[in-house]
Amino acid sequence: MRRARQVNESRSHARICAPECRGRVSVASNPVNRVRQNFDVRTFVLWGFFAAGICASQTVRGAEAKLPAPVQSFVGDHCITCHDHDTKKGDLDLSIIKSLDGSHDAEVWEKVVRKLRARQMPPPDKKRPDEASYNAALTTIETALDTAAAKHPNPGRTDTLRRLNRTEYQNAIRDLLALDVDAAALLPKDEAGHGFDNVTVGNLSPTLLDRYITAAQKISRLAVGTTHRVGGDTIRPRPDLTQEERVEGLPLGTRGGVLITYTFPQDAEYEIQIRLTRDRNEEVEGLREPHEMEVLLDRESVKQFTVSPPKGDRNFEKVDAHLKARVAVTAGPHQLGVTFVKNPSSLLETKRAPYAAHFNMHRHPRLGPAVYQVSINGPYSPQGPGDSPSRRAIFVAKPTKPDEEEKCAKQILSTLMRKAYRRPVNNADLAKPMEFFRKARTTDGFDAGIESALAAILVSPNFLFRVERDPERIAPNTAYRISDLELASRLSFFLWSSIPDDELLTAAERGELHKPKVLEKQTRRMLADSRAKSLVNNFGDQWLYLRNLDAFSPDLRLFPDFDDNLRQAFRTETELFFESIVREDRSVLDLLKADYTFLNERLAKHYGIPHVYGSQFRRVSTAESGRGGLLRQGSVLTVTSYANRTSPVIRGKWILENMIGTPPPPPPGNVPALKDNTISATLSVRERLAEHRANATCASCHNMIDPPGFALENFDAIGRWRNMEEGQPVDATGGLPDGSKFVGVAALEVGLRKRPELFVGTLTEKLLTFALGRGVESSDAPAVRKIIHDAQANDFRFSSVMLGVVNSTPFTMRKSL
Amino acid sequence: MSFITKKYMPRRTFLRGVGATMALPLLEAMVPAATPLAKTAANPVRRLGFVFMPMGCDQSRWTPPGRKAPGGAKLGELSPILSSLAPMKEHITVISNMELQNAYPGSHATSNSAFLSAAKAKLTESSDYYLGTTVDQIAAKQIGQQTQLQSLELAMDHLQVVGQCDNGYACAYQNNLSWSSPTTPLPAEAHPRIVFESLFGEGGSPAERLAALRKRASLLDGFNHDIARLQRELGPGDRARVNQYLDTVREVERRIQKADADAANNPLPDLDRPEGVPAAYADHARLMFDLQVLALQGDVTRVITFQLARETSNRTYPEIGVSDPHHPLSHHGNDPAKIARMAKINAFHVSLFAEYLAKLKATPEGNGTLLDHSLILYGSGIGNPNIHDHTNLPILVAGGAALGMKGGRHIQFAKPTPLANLHLTLLDKAGVHLESFADSNGKVDELFEPLSV
Repeated sequence: MRRARQVNESRSHARICAPECRGRVSVASNPVNRVRQNFDVRTFVLWGFFAAGICASQTVRGAEAKLPAPVQSFVGDHCITCHDHDTKKGDLDLSIIKSLDGSHDAEVWEKVVRKLRARQMPPPDKKRPDEASYNAALTTIETALDTAAAKHPNPGRTDTLRRLNRTEYQNAIRDLLALDVDAAALLPKDEAGHGFDNVTVGNLSPTLLDRYITAAQKISRLAVGTTHRVGGDTIRPRPDLTQEERVEGLPLGTRGGVLITYTFPQDAEYEIQIRLTRDRNEEVEGLREPHEMEVLLDRESVKQFTVSPPKGDRNFEKVDAHLKARVAVTAGPHQLGVTFVKNPSSLLETKRAPYAAHFNMHRHPRLGPAVYQVSINGPYSPQGPGDSPSRRAIFVAKPTKPDEEEKCAKQILSTLMRKAYRRPVNNADLAKPMEFFRKARTTDGFDAGIESALAAILVSPNFLFRVERDPERIAPNTAYRISDLELASRLSFFLWSSIPDDELLTAAERGELHKPKVLEKQTRRMLADSRAKSLVNNFGDQWLYLRNLDAFSPDLRLFPDFDDNLRQAFRTETELFFESIVREDRSVLDLLKADYTFLNERLAKHYGIPHVYGSQFRRVSTAESGRGGLLRQGSVLTVTSYANRTSPVIRGKWILENMIGTPPPPPPGNVPALKDNTISATLSVRERLAEHRANATCASCHNMIDPPGFALENFDAIGRWRNMEEGQPVDATGGLPDGSKFVGVAALEVGLRKRPELFVGTLTEKLLTFALGRGVESSDAPAVRKIIHDAQANDFRFSSVMLGVVNSTPFTMRKSL
Repeated sequence: MSFITKKYMPRRTFLRGVGATMALPLLEAMVPAATPLAKTAANPVRRLGFVFMPMGCDQSRWTPPGRKAPGGAKLGELSPILSSLAPMKEHITVISNMELQNAYPGSHATSNSAFLSAAKAKLTESSDYYLGTTVDQIAAKQIGQQTQLQSLELAMDHLQVVGQCDNGYACAYQNNLSWSSPTTPLPAEAHPRIVFESLFGEGGSPAERLAALRKRASLLDGFNHDIARLQRELGPGDRARVNQYLDTVREVERRIQKADADAANNPLPDLDRPEGVPAAYADHARLMFDLQVLALQGDVTRVITFQLARETSNRTYPEIGVSDPHHPLSHHGNDPAKIARMAKINAFHVSLFAEYLAKLKATPEGNGTLLDHSLILYGSGIGNPNIHDHTNLPILVAGGAALGMKGGRHIQFAKPTPLANLHLTLLDKAGVHLESFADSNGKVDELFEPLSV
């Protein structure tokens, strides 16, 4: 109401707008609608400022009231002509905003700050303020917003109930039971919201609960090692995996195959059966002479085979039928290798270019046979549950006589439950699991009792859900500090995507975790722990879209030399690179420019870098090769391309969203008639996009989206460097939303690093989203600014950003309902 | 004298079969032959199937040629995309000029989400997504009560696509065809083994299966116990969410009880699971269709949705000579060569569906076939994909002879007609009699009326 009245008041100030303004803005005919539009702040969010306008400079009226001088003059000189009451470009009317700190106004001002920080406004083709004016206005606005936020902290509200997502579940099982499971096989995939799959985790569908029950049963049986029916698993490498070189982790002198980490449920015999890859004609591909095969268990050879081409005819049906072995294995995780002995003569004369990829008989045939699948069936002749790491983790007490069983069970279960529930447990918690224990104990013995109780713990909502409770009798809408136990879970799920360990839990139980020194110590300890790898392969993979790599297969006609080896090498390079920033506590700005990267022979060849041999990755200086930094890595360049060409649009959008935090708005509701838009396929991508931008509605956003992507045009759709495209020199002329124009990736990196607060701020927002499991709101902006500011004093080292997040208001506090 | 036996394939045989070829050639042999006969013609089982084809098609090669007639015309020569349906012609009705106005202004996310809901998706990328209850789920609440699974949601993709999915729409819209409420998307399963397990458990003898069910029931009871404790500790504002969980518990409970009852009344055969995922798209799709046949045949469920591929899928189909990724190809810019290649993909999808119909037709039930007792909708939420158009959708309905559906015809509406009209009609046949559904403005009674001459 308040705002609506203001609008009506300001409407009474009849203003005159330059005709060219009025002519370009669609004016709602119904005055009531106009008021409603003003009232809806979300409209600002969607459309604020995006339409690049053409407005003559004018003096302000209406906004002069209470704004501080630097802001008032800035707004008057550079904003109000388009964002006044009558023109209201992008539905933003600055004339009605009279203060810097009203909570509604704050949301609008945060949008203004974002546009000014990125130098997106005023539009590049208008009169631009000098840097000093920008900084003066920004400092004034931000100081006012930050002061108001400090006075009335708004930490936002993470959901009360958030279930563990698939990754967290898998890691929690690993840390609770010393057991590696493949959660992707056990649970349905999680939806992503705000770019991460731990945001929309409030719902619980019947399918999901069903699967949680099944998973709990499977896991508890495997961990305890009680009786197993004979079952099986089949492991298949991707069909586009080239198997001509040694697989890392398998012995020197071997070629291809697979290395599988597999948890065997009991001390028993298991049947390993291997099937070789067939080609289109159902012949075993690459089998032209006898080949030796080996089955290795923890690097020890346990079985050898010879496979030979069929004699006389071309019937390959039986050539691998004998690749079957019974192997005695102890319970627990083992490394099972299936591979070939490298034939010195496996060089093949080929009429075609010597590709590195070999997986298709027509284009780049396999030189030697390859493993299609490995089946593991068992247990046969079981000898018992053995002494697996899981059993050692579970059985912290062992009854020596029957009357100790109850006590031991309680000790075992309460130890597990404290870790699983991430808090101290009481007798009421123990009641149900003990019921399960006793029932199964009666019929099937002590171990079976523990297995049954463990399954009950794993389906308990205390394990499956992270719960944050408002303190009792707190007033609504009040910011409060979360409990130390809640903080411990926030910390461990943020840094490890898993449950807290004993040390962290103990610190929380003592009520010390919230103390700044303790919190910093624990954070640093956890960052140094191997479990922090989840920041790389869970957070990083989602932030940078590396998860989309598995779905990427280029058009093999255009990019014949692409295989799963390259796809995995892309991922490994970026993960190792990101990990080096984490482990060596480098400046996060190094992500945008580094003089090193991580390569193996396959990837080095792809990049055209000499003298890198073998399948293992190592750090390589990129001083001369033009690589180094995220924007020059095959992973990023590939997931932002189509199968058959680069996409400056996708690349540009990726940069705007993930590097500088200026995502384009969704396209308008009424996409103009593309019906007439038959664009000739003979035009280059750049020309086609230029046609696209000739349409004013498209141009308003694509003028911003496309240029950063164009700057990467020297990299093709699978990340190779190119100077020519289809006979034409590559034109890598690009730009950034601040209006800068430049050519090529190096200048793009310079442009991105020129305003480190944009990149660091974007990374911070991504980290906050991931840490809180909710989208970042404008009310979080003061916290983000503080994190940037504090990290700047430490050269933006990774740990300084992380500590900033961990100490921030939204991370340590919560708002009551 | 009867040739029907209770023999079925031993589990190991099945396992070896899968290992060798990944096809499922033995499906019929795995279900005791007499099972379907338990249903009699006097009590026709109404089943609904929904098969979603992504990103529209080339309408010029979809729409059957021939004259327009009120109430539909006889289906004459089949169009190129539909040609594989020739043996099924008497069982299908093609419906032209249906539209999804509520899929605007979106594109791919809303094509998927509106296909069965006909509802407008709320523009959000967060957990506050809001759509509508989909037609299959409304039907499932009615006809799914009697089966072990109220409904079955299937897809073909195991991909974890992340990032904002489509123009500010949450990935939930694009991933999920089925929504049991406007805020509850139902994730679809693509892994044959897991689908199999949800239909038939881990397998084993009836006694083993029963023991396993009892264990699940007690674990669910444990969950229920702890969630009730938790609810008491929470503030009133948070209890609503827990109430939703309690609904979920009741649904899972119902499934277990039903399975328990079924195990007693209608012992399932001794089956073993398919283990991996076939590498080739067509093999995988056939396996998923075969599992649907099994599920319907064994009366494990009566409502199935199946996403043949995702919207914006960049899948290539080299097996039919199309190496272009589907999505960019669907934005063909009216390039005739590209349209022709896209149409090959459309025809390929239809041919897999045709094989499925043939299997349903080959399975006897009552005095007819499984196909006669099922109504199956096949189509897309996009018409012309080049322009993200949601009008003149490719739509056809198959089966339904036992319910009076007249096949072998082509209904062409003179004016664009809401797809919701068809949903309303299907619901009616499933025994759910609603006044309207989403933006419906009538029913497609022509499906069940004799041709006027």
